[in-house]
Amino acid sequence: MNTTDEVFPKQTGKSYALVELMPGSGPMVGKGPEDTVFSFPIVLLIEGILFLGVTLVVFIFSLVKQAPLDAIANPLITADPAKAPWYFVGLQELLEHMHPLLAGILAPTSLILFLLAIPYIDHARENAGVWFTSVRGRRIAILSAVYTVIVMPVFILLDNAYSLRELLRNSAPVWVAQGLLPALIIALILMIPLTVLRMSKANRREVMICLFTVTLMAAIIFTLSGFFLRGPGFKMYPPWAMPNNYNPIDGL
Amino acid sequence: MSESIKPSRKITDSRIWRSFFRHGWPDNPLDRSLTMTSNVFFHLHPVKVSRKSLAWSYSFGLGVISVILFLVLVFTGVLLMFYYVPSIERAYPAMNTIQLSVPMGQFTRNMHRWSAHLMVLAVVLHMVRVFYTGAYKPPREFNWVVGVVLLLFTLGASFTGYLLPWDQLSYWAITVGSNIAGYAPVVGSTVREMLLGGQEVGQDALIRFYTLHIALLPVLMVVAMSVHLWRVRKDGGLAVNHNEHNG
Repeated sequence: MNTTDEVFPKQTGKSYALVELMPGSGPMVGKGPEDTVFSFPIVLLIEGILFLGVTLVVFIFSLVKQAPLDAIANPLITADPAKAPWYFVGLQELLEHMHPLLAGILAPTSLILFLLAIPYIDHARENAGVWFTSVRGRRIAILSAVYTVIVMPVFILLDNAYSLRELLRNSAPVWVAQGLLPALIIALILMIPLTVLRMSKANRREVMICLFTVTLMAAIIFTLSGFFLRGPGFKMYPPWAMPNNYNPIDGL
Repeated sequence: MSESIKPSRKITDSRIWRSFFRHGWPDNPLDRSLTMTSNVFFHLHPVKVSRKSLAWSYSFGLGVISVILFLVLVFTGVLLMFYYVPSIERAYPAMNTIQLSVPMGQFTRNMHRWSAHLMVLAVVLHMVRVFYTGAYKPPREFNWVVGVVLLLFTLGASFTGYLLPWDQLSYWAITVGSNIAGYAPVVGSTVREMLLGGQEVGQDALIRFYTLHIALLPVLMVVAMSVHLWRVRKDGGLAVNHNEHNG
């Protein structure tokens, strides 16, 4: 079918009149109608295919892998290790490294506030809908990811081997050893890439890309560490040497 | 639409057909538009969408996948509700019944559990996609906020469902999880007690988690999802760059 006919049907039984010209621009204004397709049937067909695909994947997976059911709950016998659901196990890992107030409350609260604030901090309209906004944005995302993937495991392993809590047990109060010092370490980890960005005159979008990437990768690393490396007593073991035949996958 | 599957005009012009659909067979632009605008389910879609927004490599369909998983969860969840009893004496035996004697019971439970995990993953990936494509930029700021709220609802729905099997795994996971809330200064123990209905995970916690899981959170999610999708339509579909000429 001729595109013009499809967009501007000749006989619709309606007449059109120019009522008023408004200043300003809507999202589609001036973009030309030829770049669009009808939702019916195209979008609905795509959604239908996606529905079949997603349910098929879940279907097959459910045939192969059974949902776990442990022994009946017993408040008198602590499960060992007692792990939170996988999406909260990153927080549980964080709790091993710092004061519960910092890891359990301040960290998740500031994460949510950061997420809510993103569109109000970076409100430039340019290049919405482009992956990483620019080539430079993509490079910042990759470098931030690489940086976090190196720094965070080092922090987890170092703190696990030489726990600040144990090192400073007799020389500093708890709020310094488990509150102030870990908070300073996290602030330092965040400040290094931000200083580099500041020196290269990054815009707000680029700063957001850096912060979001560092946070996302840190969350992934803490989740993986808590999920795969923590065994009985929530102590750290290599995944191939878990005591008591403990397999973290069984707890999914 | 090919001519061969088009029903006769006698049907599409009939009084009964017209009372249902209020438009003719959707093989022309007008009736295709009316299919979207005059149907309550399709009305969350715009009549036309940008060709670029349909590119798989742009959105990976993650938002739609999240909705699909939500629908699978509602369907399998309702099936499980026919057998599950939220009581600390009967919940675990009910799980055994579902897995051992209910036809397709184990399979239904598997579908529910794996879809739940997948949905958390899909929702997080959807947020990551929206962030990196800068799709939260004006005028879509508030819809990003609705999305963050939906992420929290999704985590809440998954967390509350986690307790229901009432086995060691779920009991201690919820004990560990809810202890984290107790660390908040001043309000911590109150928040934890409100969530659990007591000092420990017990019958009161189970009924609270159950009610949140099967009633409150799903209803809130449907409302928030409707707002979320409706605003996507109102903002002109997905955020795609119309100035950029094919990459």
